[in-house]
Amino acid sequence: MQTILICDDDKDIVSALDIYLTSEGYQTVKAYNGKEALRAVDQYEIHLILMDIMMPELDGIRATAKLREGSNVPIILLTAKSEDADKILGLNIGADDYITKPFNPLEVIARVKSQLRRYTSLGGAGKGPGLLTVGPIALDDGAKQVTVDGEPVALTPIEYNILKLLISHPGQVFSSAQIYEHVWNDPAFGSENTVAVHIRHLREKIEIDPADPRYLKVVWGLGYKMEKGANG
Amino acid sequence: MKRLQTSTAAKCVAVLLMLAAVFVGTLCAVKALLALPCLEAESWTEISQFRQMLRAREDNVTFYLADQQRLAQPDLTYLDRQQLENSAAEYWKQTDPSATMFRFQVKTADGLKVLCSNLGEGEVLSEIVETVYYDAFQLGGYGIIDDAGWSQEAAGILSGSASDPALTESKTAPEADGSVFCIIECGVVPAVPDQVSDEFASLYRSYQHGQDYFSGYVWTSAALLVLALFCLLYLLWGAGHKAGTEDVTLSWQDRIFFDAYLFVMLCVGTALFAGGLYLGENLYYYGFYHEFSDSYAEEAKLLSLAIAALAALFMGVAALTLRTLVVRCKARMLAHTTLLCRVVGWMVRTIRDFVLGLPLTWRVAAAYAIFFLANVMLLTQGMYNGFWILLWFILHIGVLLALCWWSLCFHRLRKGSQAIAAGNLSYQLDTARMPHDLKAHAEDLNNISAGLSSAVDEQMKSERFKAELITNVSHDLKTPLTSIINYVDLLKTTEQHDPRAQDYIEVLDRKAQRLKKLTEDLVEASKASTGVLTVNREKIGMAQLMDQALGEWTEKLEARKLTVVTSLPEGETWVYADGRHLWRVIDNLLSNCAKYAMEGTRIYLDLTRGKGRITLSVKNISREPLNVPPERLMERFVRGEESRTTEGSGLGLSIARSLTELQGGTFDLAVDGDLFKATVSLPQAN
Repeated sequence: MQTILICDDDKDIVSALDIYLTSEGYQTVKAYNGKEALRAVDQYEIHLILMDIMMPELDGIRATAKLREGSNVPIILLTAKSEDADKILGLNIGADDYITKPFNPLEVIARVKSQLRRYTSLGGAGKGPGLLTVGPIALDDGAKQVTVDGEPVALTPIEYNILKLLISHPGQVFSSAQIYEHVWNDPAFGSENTVAVHIRHLREKIEIDPADPRYLKVVWGLGYKMEKGANG
Repeated sequence: MKRLQTSTAAKCVAVLLMLAAVFVGTLCAVKALLALPCLEAESWTEISQFRQMLRAREDNVTFYLADQQRLAQPDLTYLDRQQLENSAAEYWKQTDPSATMFRFQVKTADGLKVLCSNLGEGEVLSEIVETVYYDAFQLGGYGIIDDAGWSQEAAGILSGSASDPALTESKTAPEADGSVFCIIECGVVPAVPDQVSDEFASLYRSYQHGQDYFSGYVWTSAALLVLALFCLLYLLWGAGHKAGTEDVTLSWQDRIFFDAYLFVMLCVGTALFAGGLYLGENLYYYGFYHEFSDSYAEEAKLLSLAIAALAALFMGVAALTLRTLVVRCKARMLAHTTLLCRVVGWMVRTIRDFVLGLPLTWRVAAAYAIFFLANVMLLTQGMYNGFWILLWFILHIGVLLALCWWSLCFHRLRKGSQAIAAGNLSYQLDTARMPHDLKAHAEDLNNISAGLSSAVDEQMKSERFKAELITNVSHDLKTPLTSIINYVDLLKTTEQHDPRAQDYIEVLDRKAQRLKKLTEDLVEASKASTGVLTVNREKIGMAQLMDQALGEWTEKLEARKLTVVTSLPEGETWVYADGRHLWRVIDNLLSNCAKYAMEGTRIYLDLTRGKGRITLSVKNISREPLNVPPERLMERFVRGEESRTTEGSGLGLSIARSLTELQGGTFDLAVDGDLFKATVSLPQAN
């Protein structure tokens, strides 16, 4: 039984999240500002924190910074601001993920599950010789198998090859033509436009929100890359 | 220092000190001037007055002798005899050795017999005097003659008289007319006994005095004049400054017209100076004629005092004039308080106003006419005289310089108006040293730019305020929206007894999702149109981007039975743009196609290159008739069909246009019947 701390100044949102998480089988602790969140962390054994940014008394960013001083519990920020600067600030200060309001309940559940799996079970997973990982994504070249948060994902051979190319060069941007030449082993003469569709399918399989990917990112006008910093 | 400058007491002291110093200094100077002859002579006996005194004494002796001769005449009346005796006694008394330093003896022409003398018993003239002066004169006959040509009409009286035994005993035979030649030997004893107070003693004393005190007088006078000058400088420094105020204050006399003031002061000063000169001359001649008489000393003293007083007055007048001049200069009122300057200034202003009041064309015509006439005049004169040709050259150089100046100013004006026209509203034209008309024009331009710039600032502020408002409002909308979406979702999972409830929940869900999309688009649109978004422009491939965008949309378009037809140019299609913003543009265009294109038609995506730009055009056939002009389509919340039944916020095209323009590109829409065409054009990167 894992305990999740829900912290938001809007009580309706807190209780809605409480309903979703309880129905998924998690225990919940409620807090309505940053100070209460800090107190709750002291009182209970918390496995994950969902925290709003804009709160009275102590906002989510400051509370995250405080928590990170003595704990590495996963923190997911709930933000009504869609500004990139806020997301980047939140992630830099020690948050593990973020969800933009208004959110889809299914997405919240998926992100909570992903973070919890990485925090509890996958924390010390050993790295085999053929195992390539970025964030929760692991590609076992020997078994030709891909897992996300330990869950196996079914990929087509082309999708698998694209993922293998990107995951073995994290942070490097590959254009459609380069990917085509690598995966199809053919010179790309305008036939690389299928790459974009394959990548989209791949994103749908390994990302929680394909429109806002965390790992397999689209560099618009240049190509695609696997996020480097997400490996950890 | 400041207190010294404003102290009235110090100023009064300085005035008194200055006047006193001038007074005493002038006195000393007069004394020094009078003592100048004493200083020039090596000995007191070389002073010209000495010889004059000696001659006067000689004359007295001859008068005495003449009186004696006349007394010898037998037919004198008693009265005449008394008179002559008195006169002779008077003359003789003056030669008393106890009362004078003068010593003399009169001898006959052969020098053997002493006729008359004031020497004591056993005294020899050449032994008791420093220098013996000789003179000869004729006694009787035509008179007494000496080398100076002085004569006295004693001839008639002396003629034929030989009663004086001294004369008759003379070996020298009398001349034909009965006159006798005599020789007078005279001199002055060197020691000055204190009791002696004749003119020689006086001369000697004044000589000694002059010798001793001349340099003293000169230095005192110089020092006092320096002191007076110093006082004057102090007064000028402090003039116009009063305690309690920083400004220069004008007194009543500083308000009199300066030229009038100067004229009066010049008259007074000239009169004083002339008076001083006159008195000085008097002093000099008085001294010349009445040397060292008793009355002279008194007279000279009075004259000196009068001269000194005049000098002090003159100094006062000069100081007053300088003071008012300095005060006016300090207050920068000299020109203003000068009648001449005011009259000339008024005339210049009137003429200038008149000329500037004329229309520019008239002025140009008049200037040209004057120039032309000057040319003709100078050239016709120049035929005879090279000087006029020189003037003609100078005139032309002057006109050339004026034209250059005018063109430079005009160029400045052009630059300024170009800058303002190009949108640099903070540009301020430098109007210094511009000709009158251009200056007026430049100031107008400055005013326009200032007005425009404040208007633009105002608009920017209100736009920013609007954007901030929209962001805040949409943030406040999002929080309840989150609850709505979540609880609608929760409702879906609960059991509903009424089958219609399921439908109602579906509607709620759809509308909540649409509201979410709308608020997101709203924020995006307001950010894009107010330019508060950060744009990170880098080199990106347009073909790659189009490819990626199609990858995102292919399935949705295929679901609507839309076929995409693309065409690419040869070679690279690099542009400078922000990839995420450009993706939003293309995303919006494709989303537009997915929403509004007629099913079963084709969508054309053409990428072209030309004129340094990369252009992407998206063409599709609209499902509904497009009854809105393309300009309206780009406005916010306007959609192709007015019924607004379809999904979408109506902000897509507005956002696309704003984002394209933020990246330095152009966004155009064209509608031809049902053909809808959007064009995004960006500058090509090398």
